[in-house]
Amino acid sequence: MDFACNFPFFSIMLLMFTGIISMIAGPRPAKILSLAALGISTVLSALLIAYINQTGESFIYMMGHFPAPFGNEISAGMFEAVMAFGICGVAFLSLWGNGASTKTDIPEKKRNLYYIMMDMLMASLLVLIYTNDIFTAYVFVELNTIAACAIVMSKPGGETIAATIRYLIMSLLGSGLFLLGISLIYALTGHLLMPNMHEIIIELVHNSNYTLPLIVIVGLFGVSMAIKSALFPFHSWLPDAHGSATTASSAVLSGLVLKGYIILLIKLFFRVFSLDILKEFHISDVLLVLGLLGMIMGSVKAIKETNIKRMIAYSSVAQIGYIFMGIGMDITIGLVAAVFQILVHMVTKPMLFTAAGGLINVSGHKKDFESLQGSAWKDPLAGVSFIVGSLSMIGIPLFAGFIVKYYLAAAAFDTSKNTLIILAVLVLSTVLNALYYVPAISKIYHRDEASKFNWQDVLRTIGAVGDFPYQASLIIFIILNIILGTCSGPVFQALEMGLDMLG
Amino acid sequence: MGLICILLPIIGGIWLLYKKRQTYFVRLVLLLHVLLTGILLFLPDTSWVVWKLTDQLNIVLKTDGLSRIFLAMVSLIWLVVSVYAQDYLEHDENPIRFFAFYLLTLGGLTGLCLAGNFMTLYLFFEAMSLLSVPLVLHTMTREAVAAALKYLIYSIAGASMALIGFFILLHYGSIEFAAGGTLSAAVISEHRDILLAGALFTVVGFGTKAGIFPMHSWLPTAHPVAPAPASAVLSGVITKAGIFAVIRVVYYQFGVELIAGSWVQYVWIILSLISVLMGSTLAFKEQILKKRLAYSSVSQLSYILFGLGTLTPTGFVGAVLHVVCHSVIKNGLFLGAGAVIHQTHKTKVRELDGIGKVMPVTMTCFTICALALVGIPPSGGFVSKWNLIAGSLESGLGLISWLGPVILLVSAVLTAGYLLGISVQAFITGKDKNGAAAGQEVSGRMRNSQMLLAFLAVVLGVFSGPLISYLETIAGGLF
Amino acid sequence: MGNNAWFLMIPILVPLIGGILVSACHMEQRRLRQGFVMATVILNSVFVWAAIFWLQGKEFRLVELSQSMSLTLSLDGLGCVFAGMVAVLWPIASVYAFEYMKHEGGEVRFFKYYTMTYGVTLGVAFSHNLVTMYLFYEMLTLITLPLVMHSKTDAAKAAGRKYLVFSIGGASLAFIGMVFLYHVVGDATFTAGGMMAVQGLAAAKGQNLLTIFVITFIGFGVKAALFPFHGWLPTAGVAPTTVTALLHAVAVVKAGAFAVIRITYYLFGADVLRRTWAQNVVLLLAAFTIVLGSAKALKEQHVKRRLAYSTISNLSYILLGAALMTPLGLQAALTHMIAHAFIKITLFYCAGSIIYKAHYEYVPQMVGLAGRMPVVMGCFTIGSLALMGIPLLPAFISKAGLLTGIVELGTPAAYIGMGALLISAVLTAYYLFSIVIRAYFPGKGFDITSNQDARDPNWLMKGPLILLCIICLLLGLFPGRLLEFFADIAAGLF
Repeated sequence: MDFACNFPFFSIMLLMFTGIISMIAGPRPAKILSLAALGISTVLSALLIAYINQTGESFIYMMGHFPAPFGNEISAGMFEAVMAFGICGVAFLSLWGNGASTKTDIPEKKRNLYYIMMDMLMASLLVLIYTNDIFTAYVFVELNTIAACAIVMSKPGGETIAATIRYLIMSLLGSGLFLLGISLIYALTGHLLMPNMHEIIIELVHNSNYTLPLIVIVGLFGVSMAIKSALFPFHSWLPDAHGSATTASSAVLSGLVLKGYIILLIKLFFRVFSLDILKEFHISDVLLVLGLLGMIMGSVKAIKETNIKRMIAYSSVAQIGYIFMGIGMDITIGLVAAVFQILVHMVTKPMLFTAAGGLINVSGHKKDFESLQGSAWKDPLAGVSFIVGSLSMIGIPLFAGFIVKYYLAAAAFDTSKNTLIILAVLVLSTVLNALYYVPAISKIYHRDEASKFNWQDVLRTIGAVGDFPYQASLIIFIILNIILGTCSGPVFQALEMGLDMLG
Repeated sequence: MGLICILLPIIGGIWLLYKKRQTYFVRLVLLLHVLLTGILLFLPDTSWVVWKLTDQLNIVLKTDGLSRIFLAMVSLIWLVVSVYAQDYLEHDENPIRFFAFYLLTLGGLTGLCLAGNFMTLYLFFEAMSLLSVPLVLHTMTREAVAAALKYLIYSIAGASMALIGFFILLHYGSIEFAAGGTLSAAVISEHRDILLAGALFTVVGFGTKAGIFPMHSWLPTAHPVAPAPASAVLSGVITKAGIFAVIRVVYYQFGVELIAGSWVQYVWIILSLISVLMGSTLAFKEQILKKRLAYSSVSQLSYILFGLGTLTPTGFVGAVLHVVCHSVIKNGLFLGAGAVIHQTHKTKVRELDGIGKVMPVTMTCFTICALALVGIPPSGGFVSKWNLIAGSLESGLGLISWLGPVILLVSAVLTAGYLLGISVQAFITGKDKNGAAAGQEVSGRMRNSQMLLAFLAVVLGVFSGPLISYLETIAGGLF
Repeated sequence: MGNNAWFLMIPILVPLIGGILVSACHMEQRRLRQGFVMATVILNSVFVWAAIFWLQGKEFRLVELSQSMSLTLSLDGLGCVFAGMVAVLWPIASVYAFEYMKHEGGEVRFFKYYTMTYGVTLGVAFSHNLVTMYLFYEMLTLITLPLVMHSKTDAAKAAGRKYLVFSIGGASLAFIGMVFLYHVVGDATFTAGGMMAVQGLAAAKGQNLLTIFVITFIGFGVKAALFPFHGWLPTAGVAPTTVTALLHAVAVVKAGAFAVIRITYYLFGADVLRRTWAQNVVLLLAAFTIVLGSAKALKEQHVKRRLAYSTISNLSYILLGAALMTPLGLQAALTHMIAHAFIKITLFYCAGSIIYKAHYEYVPQMVGLAGRMPVVMGCFTIGSLALMGIPLLPAFISKAGLLTGIVELGTPAAYIGMGALLISAVLTAYYLFSIVIRAYFPGKGFDITSNQDARDPNWLMKGPLILLCIICLLLGLFPGRLLEFFADIAAGLF
């Protein structure tokens, strides 16, 4: 085994280790350690991508020298590597960029705990991405839930506690269903490692044995992950949680945590069940419908929101809907589009949240649009990022969101049924998106005629507002968005390769 | 040369609008116009391209037999009526504006008569319609404005319909005027239906100006509400512009060959006959004098359209003859009516008992014109009706060719009723009443012009020979 | 085709940068601002015409978005027409705007977006393929939105919202067409004669192709106020007249018509589409809009809304011509595009002058106005005559072309279009001329003193108005060269 194959393990261990050490560290060291760990993980994931690109195949990594089916396994292919890279990188940028607001929001005594929870969260996300064992997945799903609740709750205030409780209840419900599914599948197949389960299931399906239980299992997995990733109609916890948490948490939650569960779901579907079997069970139809509904309902609710962070949170519901729609289309290009959307949203949503955080900061920490009027002039970089994010969401060419919409529509043409509905909903969704992003932009750029304003002030403010990490992270996010918008070719190739390797 | 004839009144009109000098100016312009037109009449047939818009569309002026007749008529009558108008409008609020547009409309009409192709025809047709609107508007009452708008809409609607024919012709044939038509036999046989549809649209479109049913309702609204001289030229001359356009399009473009015997001809004839009958009947019942005369125009114009619709040489001759006669006569009748209204301010027929006593000259001229219109020999009206009937019988349209004359005769009877009835009332029945005692005879200019027109009405009948033979020459080229 | 015509970026960028500078350098002083804007606009127009003379047929690849999609600029005959028209009109409109906006306020903000719109519109004209055009099309919506909402009243905001929804919705429909072309067909580069015909791709796609065409036609048609998506245009009349005139009679809506022409003749290809059910659908939609627009104009008493409905109607003249899918049809569509742009902007500017000077917004108030504002009403009369289709004035030639094209095509749907044109002509005469007549002939009992405030505006507004009128006359009298040029463009496609 090449050295590179250790990288996934290294990343996970590094993050967990950092978390443990931070328990005795103060807030600043804790932060530095977290950032360092994330930074290293990002680099490792990048190297992993290069490695897998070279070898052209995925590999299995045994944990603890016990071979399957007894020990634990990590499976790493292009798909996992790209996802890991994205997650680590975005987490780094979010934490780094929002350092200042984290400092303001979270009391000093608790701050190192905050970073510990972040480390745990990241570690468990990576596990979800890499693991080949379904029970491990469950364990870390739970860890994920707890850590996520912790980072919501860490900002003091009744609002966050209420949100956390809601989130916790819904999440535990999801975990419970997931566990149920695991027990059933273990009962059926007698294995916990995914490839082994797959073999048995193929046989079962082939002989048409236990079809009903299998459908139930798939349903349980689907619903549990849907709850945790805020697919309509299980999304009600999201606006509260993401809207009330501190900016770094919102960014990470919206951008990464949700995706972790979806990635797990994709892995389960592909590796344990395979696309064909799923088609027989019609689960994808359900996901498609829910995705379409989410696209619309998310945007409709966003239009009514006056709190900027809640609006962005509802927008996430809509964007998650896109992903599920892509999965639900049952064809490869749909799936590739869905995964690409995962990447794009990973890059865009944290940017929007970070920008929103900046705008809130210059408006006296108020989150409603009335108070935010004109804030974009006080923090120009945040304003520009917000515009970039909005244009991407609406689907203007040059930005990543356009490519997503394009490929989803292209997939709609290839799919044999439902083409019209999917296209119609895409159209509707674009209009709805415009309906809340454009007014938001116009509000934050609102200017009274009387106010004096000149370019020198603006230039000065660019440097002054927010510290360097904040500015740098926003700029990097913008660049990433545009890169994904213009150079999507190689990314797509990588994803296709990755999905191939999955199955 | 022709261009000067057109531009003279136009420039005169614009000059008038700005300089606001009247009296002799108008008469001078008109006299010049008559002179120049006269010279034009004796020049040989010419054609001249004024302006090229594109390869196919250009403005062309041309003189030939038909244009000479119409131009002469227009020019002369315009002059006569202007003399009358000078006195009539003595106490008017804004005579300058009236005369300005009067001149401008003449310019448009001249251009129309001299049009050498469909495009030019259309241009001057629209121009003339627009320029005559202020004449209707002149009194500026609410009714006048409403009537003017109605006139405008109908004119534009008619012109638009004609435009359809224009484009069909442009595509399948040519828009130049050539005696006998410009469509080749091959084209006719291949695209018959479309060409026929175009022809119908054009006839009805231009016929709107001549009050063809069902596009007639603007006429009784617009003609009465204008001042008498304007009503006169509206009814007497401008409507003939529509007729002229129909002649040009049917005989010089679509060609008799295409239309003869087709459903379009039947529709045309039927519509004209309906108008004839309807016009006379409504005139008979109408009490307002000017409106009665307007309905009479509807009827008489459809005589002409009927004659044209028979698509025979005789019918053609009768129709054009009636154009000239009716023009003179109707102008005379309206001038008389105007005189009565001017002096007595009474507009309704039944109020005119005994007016012959106080206004003998006016009513005598009125009666002479009326007799001419009814068709008592040897007046012009008789000759034209004779030809119309003959043409109808010749046309070979089966039942219609018999029905036509019948309706014409019935209408003649009605005409006698509604026109001579007035004369009777004026002279005979009311002899002992002084109902209209408030009036007195009109002054020199108004009286003279009426007398001139009445005289012409008689002359045209008695000495119709030369005119008829000239018309027959023209007709020869068309069939 | 040569490449690296990077100069094509310049006319797009110059106004964008100029606009931003207006706001950034906080050009409060009127003279400085006006001078700067005028300089930018004129300079840019010069650039455009330079490009027209020297850069035809060259392209410039900006960036590749994916394997099949790239953002590329180029300039062909059709683009020249649109760009050229826009380049002539913008400076004239700017002069008028300088004066008019004095009474509206918010001039810095206005001129920023006004100048930037110029650049974006040129982007639409210079697009080489569908995704580039789509980008600039969306940008056009976004950049004109602040102009629509300029007065910041509730009505203005509502109008802006409606405009946004309709425009984005329409663009999304077009988006679907775009995806189809790039994904299923493989390419969406504008090629003379239709990319699909040229690449022989049409046969395979059959019925779906036609459905997609109709969807895309309607999608871009939204910006050209095609029924049933015309509702945003009259509502947008609440914007200042300069906005309504230039944008909603000229730039924005003509961009919609331009886009429709692009997809019909340069993507799908007229031969593929002619005489199919798809053609009938779009012909009928255009015909219906023609009549609907004219009819609604008749009932409307607010002057700017009346003119807005008239625009709706006239835009569908252009769409009808495009939908005929014959060389004559295209020629007529282009002619009317130019003719209507000049005529309608003249009419709107007259209306604007009346609003500015006399504060009259409704038709019944305009009685007897000709005495007080002779120049304005004179230009209005010429504009009305022109729009009605009097020969020697521009719209006659375009109507002539349309009608001839209809006869050439000869399908039943085309003749319905002819009927629509006929009805519209009558209605147009009425709704325009009733204003003219009442202005000149106020009727008995008219109080001369009632139009006290009304005067002809000063030369900043009068000048452009007269200039536009003269251009209208010239277009009507000398259509030859322009028609030849259009015929060449049309011929290049067939």
